[in-house]
Amino acid sequence: MLEVKIKRTLPGFNLDVDFSVDGEILGILGPSGSGKTMTLKCIAGLIQPDQGLIKLNDRVLFDSSMRVNLPTQVRKVGFVLQHYCLFPHLSAVKNIAYGVRKSTRSEVNDRVSELVGKMRLNGLEQRYPRQLSAGQQQRVAIARALAPEPEVLLLDEPFSALDSITKEQMELELMEIQDFYKGSIILVTHNLAEAYRLSSRLAIYEAGKVAQCDQKERIISSPASRKVARMLKIRNYLDGFISETNESSIWVTIPELDTRLRVSANGHDSLVANQHVTIGVFPDYVRIAEGPGQNTLLSSLDRVVNAVSTVNYHFSLKTISGKSLHIETVLPKSDARLLLTGQQYYLHLPPEHVAIITNG
Amino acid sequence: MSPLWVSLKTVSTTMVITVILGIIAARWMARYHGKLKPLIDGIFILPLVLPPTVVGLVLLLTFGKNGPMGQLFSLFDTTVVFSWPATVISATVVSFPLMYMTAKSAFELVDSDIEDAARTLGAGKWKVFRTVTMPLACPGIIAGSILCFARSLGEFGATLMLAGNIPGKTTTLPVAIYFEIQAGDMRSALYLTAIVLFISFTSLVCLAYLRMPRRVKKIVSDTGQE
Repeated sequence: MLEVKIKRTLPGFNLDVDFSVDGEILGILGPSGSGKTMTLKCIAGLIQPDQGLIKLNDRVLFDSSMRVNLPTQVRKVGFVLQHYCLFPHLSAVKNIAYGVRKSTRSEVNDRVSELVGKMRLNGLEQRYPRQLSAGQQQRVAIARALAPEPEVLLLDEPFSALDSITKEQMELELMEIQDFYKGSIILVTHNLAEAYRLSSRLAIYEAGKVAQCDQKERIISSPASRKVARMLKIRNYLDGFISETNESSIWVTIPELDTRLRVSANGHDSLVANQHVTIGVFPDYVRIAEGPGQNTLLSSLDRVVNAVSTVNYHFSLKTISGKSLHIETVLPKSDARLLLTGQQYYLHLPPEHVAIITNG
Repeated sequence: MSPLWVSLKTVSTTMVITVILGIIAARWMARYHGKLKPLIDGIFILPLVLPPTVVGLVLLLTFGKNGPMGQLFSLFDTTVVFSWPATVISATVVSFPLMYMTAKSAFELVDSDIEDAARTLGAGKWKVFRTVTMPLACPGIIAGSILCFARSLGEFGATLMLAGNIPGKTTTLPVAIYFEIQAGDMRSALYLTAIVLFISFTSLVCLAYLRMPRRVKKIVSDTGQE
């Protein structure tokens, strides 16, 4: 269990974050410059926060009120830095052996060969970092970080240096790490898809603050704010208010469109009637319906964009006050249909895939 | 052969002092970014740009009978001026800037993230310095040592002013060459010159070899993956 509650003030930037991780992968997601790496460096003790508390499994690593600040080398925090930062003058095995906390040479060798096996580095033991591919370097970096048996593993943008195919493979390997590494893992990334695939919980960073920290599914179904929703790549928004709730459904009235949409109650709670909300829908979930029905909106097609494996349709809706609302949908090419721009079509918003944003 | 012997003794003692002081000063300044950095840098590098006579005179004033250091040494009944240690002092002062500058840029080039990685792996400050910083800065440190060796071997002006010309004691190779020529003994002068040429040239060639980038073949993965 790692608890982090720290503040750090810099000219033009304030870090003020509060979250915890417990034996799982926490993905920290945020744009560059939002304080993600700084948070990791504070946990590792490479940067000292101005105030706060960092606690790792009953050990206080940092506590400004008690003036505790353990030096990096005794924190037992494994850290894979962004560019791996392997020791260029040491071979792969010597890199891994660097941090092994064992007394005899044979114990050290056992630990190193165990990690070489687990990280599939057999045959690469004597190579120097510059003789390894980016993917291999990353495996060495992870093995090296795990060698001293850290209580938490920090990964800073571990996939940013990899090409997309190696990246997919490394993602799978990272999931396998959990088979033998039981501590918590914090994964910092600016890539939503990557964070979602790998983590069970997400902390969304926004300008030095945690905008939301929750189970990933909950973040998707109820983003804390429009900014979070935008970071999740939700593109379609409709403002309204809760008109009715029951056990299975929430009804949201959209006054601008003079319509009521049904949202399945699953994953949403603490909503009261008349509460102002914004609903958000991923373009991937918006479907083109055959005709009018529940949760359908009549919209006219403005533009069709051909992507690699998908087709993106841009629609617009006329509101009561005469404004125009934008709605986007993405269909895989296999499901794409020949739609004509300027024509009107019915769009369907599936109730189980509508996000509700309370602080829109 | 006595000038060669004096020179070797002086140069080796100087090297030990300069390399240690240079590494300490360079390491400290490479990570120091305070307001005084340009000032301290200036003081450390100054002897390199000053005329040897100026360095010599400043040293004479410092280590002379009435100078601060001279006063200090006189408490122990020793005088530095015109003694063998004076050759070491002048050589150290003029060669220090070269060691300092080369080592500092070597330390500055060491990626601090790599040092941080070592710390997260449980290494204390001293272990990081010994096992990461020094090996990575090593080529620069060796280059600095060789430059400092060449510079202290060639030291003439300040040595002559502070240590004088006492055969067998303070007469180093460059000083000896100067006085052999003055005395009209061309043969001895040429002989000593050949020695200096040989030593200096050899050390520069060594330096060039050390500076040569090591060629490492990029091994293509045998499995064809990645």
